[in-house]
Amino acid sequence: MKKVLSLFIACLMVVGVFSVATAEAPKSLKIAVVCSAAGRNDNGYNQSAVEGAEAVAAELGAECNVVQPENGVPAALETLAEDGYNLIFNLEYDFDALIKGVGGAQPIAAQYPDTWFVVFNANPNVNDAGETIHKNVISVLFDVHEGSYLAGYLSVLVNENATALFGEGYQFTPPEQARALGFIGGTDSSGIKVFSYGFIEGANKAAAELGVTYDYYAKYDAGFGDPALGSTVAGTYYDNGANVVYGVAGSVGDGITAKAKEVGKLAIQVDANKDDQQPGYVLTSVLKNTNVPVTVLARAYADGSIATLGNLQTYNLASGATGITDLSEIGKAVVDTAKWEEIKAKVAAIAADIAGGAIKVVNAQVGETFDPAACPNIVIK
Amino acid sequence: MRLLGSILYDSVYHTTPILLCVLGGIFAYKAGVLNIALEGFMLSASFMSMLVAGLTGSVALGYAAAFASCLVLWLVFSYMGVTRRGNVIIIGLAINMLVPAIAGFVLQIMGTANLTLPWLNVGDMKVNLPLIRDIPVLGNMLSGHPVTTYLAFLMIPLMGVLMYRTRLGVYIRVVGENEDAARSLGLRTDRYKYLAVLIGALFAAFAGVNLSMERMALFTNNMTAGRGFIAIAAIYCGRGSPAGSAMYAIVFGVARALAVNLGLFAGPAASLIDIVPYVVMTLVLTMVSVVKRRNNRLRGFVGG
Repeated sequence: MKKVLSLFIACLMVVGVFSVATAEAPKSLKIAVVCSAAGRNDNGYNQSAVEGAEAVAAELGAECNVVQPENGVPAALETLAEDGYNLIFNLEYDFDALIKGVGGAQPIAAQYPDTWFVVFNANPNVNDAGETIHKNVISVLFDVHEGSYLAGYLSVLVNENATALFGEGYQFTPPEQARALGFIGGTDSSGIKVFSYGFIEGANKAAAELGVTYDYYAKYDAGFGDPALGSTVAGTYYDNGANVVYGVAGSVGDGITAKAKEVGKLAIQVDANKDDQQPGYVLTSVLKNTNVPVTVLARAYADGSIATLGNLQTYNLASGATGITDLSEIGKAVVDTAKWEEIKAKVAAIAADIAGGAIKVVNAQVGETFDPAACPNIVIK
Repeated sequence: MRLLGSILYDSVYHTTPILLCVLGGIFAYKAGVLNIALEGFMLSASFMSMLVAGLTGSVALGYAAAFASCLVLWLVFSYMGVTRRGNVIIIGLAINMLVPAIAGFVLQIMGTANLTLPWLNVGDMKVNLPLIRDIPVLGNMLSGHPVTTYLAFLMIPLMGVLMYRTRLGVYIRVVGENEDAARSLGLRTDRYKYLAVLIGALFAAFAGVNLSMERMALFTNNMTAGRGFIAIAAIYCGRGSPAGSAMYAIVFGVARALAVNLGLFAGPAASLIDIVPYVVMTLVLTMVSVVKRRNNRLRGFVGG
């Protein structure tokens, strides 16, 4: 009996080894997307990556799995890597277990050296000397300062013509009375200030062209969770003559757009195209089109060039991964279409200048410093 | 002058949800079934009001849904905590975790990150009081709020009356202070505990609707952002008295309004003002327990 049993088990093991071998033979691409807390249906940041992954998976004949981690990102990464997913995108801001390892465990990236991990919005994969730690981890940064620059430029042009551009139902402060812009950020970090600085520079560009000066109100510690706070802070900016307030602060930003609707002014959203959140009151959204890096990296994996791409990748305006929306939603509220087309053309020209390198925007994300003296037409309060 | 006006207005704005939670919560506190789930109750009211108003297009049904959801949570909390004698802290904690999970789940199914009401202009929810609104500075503070806000402040004296001048209030306090004595007098103590929690649930429903639908016509998950817990701290500092606890709620509102409005002039330093209420509360709670301990020692209840 014992003999039969052990023979049986031995057979099982042989079959097991054999089946694993056949499964790994073609080394097919299996893509996984680990969503951030906002979830896959956030109408933007996550959703864009998921759609990009599903599209490129269909194109390449790859498998695609989307995970919303319930037991934390590290567990999800480990399970996916164990299951043979070889290109894993981690949209959550959670890298320690992947890069450094937590609780004495080996870093996940080191445990699965044949798996490619992609992280977003930070470059945690360098040691103190600035050297890459894991060859199989790619950090993706978005040049959101360029999109913010466009938003700032657009804001000033719209502000100068607000009353003419928009019809009934708005209560803009006329420029001759006060010229001001507002910015509300979630936390006082370079990752947030990069938006603000780009916004200031863009606004300064337009203000300098017109020979006017703008006040700039900014709050960098609004947190990410309390929309009522965003609503009242934005209220104080609107009260002081700002017609456009830019929010980079999660659901605090949703409070800003609600306030914009209440007072009949404009807000700018971030990350995803949220122009239709309060239709007619969201001027534009500064985008992170996560589908672009997802597509680029999946294709690179498929043709074997992913190892040559570099472990830090920045996606700029020209790549299409950042920028502002096509302005179609706010366009529906515009009455003076001739002026509106003129403004859009100007913004498009600036976008071309940035993409072509003629305009250089400060990138606080990679440690560049912002000099307020370079923006004489913006008075930072 | 305009700055003062908007500080006063925002003080009222930020005080209201906390104040409502405080005024409702003091009864449960006094009855000895402290409801730490005020946060969850408030969030469920925020969520259900926006969800139902969005689906039906009716503000009134939004209010109704908020109350209905709080009544359900009231039954859950009271049945578990009073009838089944469960630990109210654990039950409250469970509700606080359950509500955002359900809201997040529903939002996920709906494929959206937040709820808005495109057809509702929150300006229309405001009630401008004739004459009063023309008073300089004060008119700015006293007028232009949603109905619930007026109600909240009117409730401060009314709740004082309810707690100290009515049979219900007295019984609730007796139940909390000495349940055995209350039972020996023939009071049905569970019934008063249910009622005490019910008052809190109704007020939390108002707070939730005020926060989401009335002020912003917006729901985002976890938008209560700890206001329910601030209310509990205020209840403790005021030791459950309506006026005293309300005062701490107002301290929070004023501090928040100062932090918001002075940011225009003081920049990031204005956020320091946000700390003030927490410092005050910590000091007050420390003082209260020191005094209490000293009294006990004088009477020889606490050894050493």
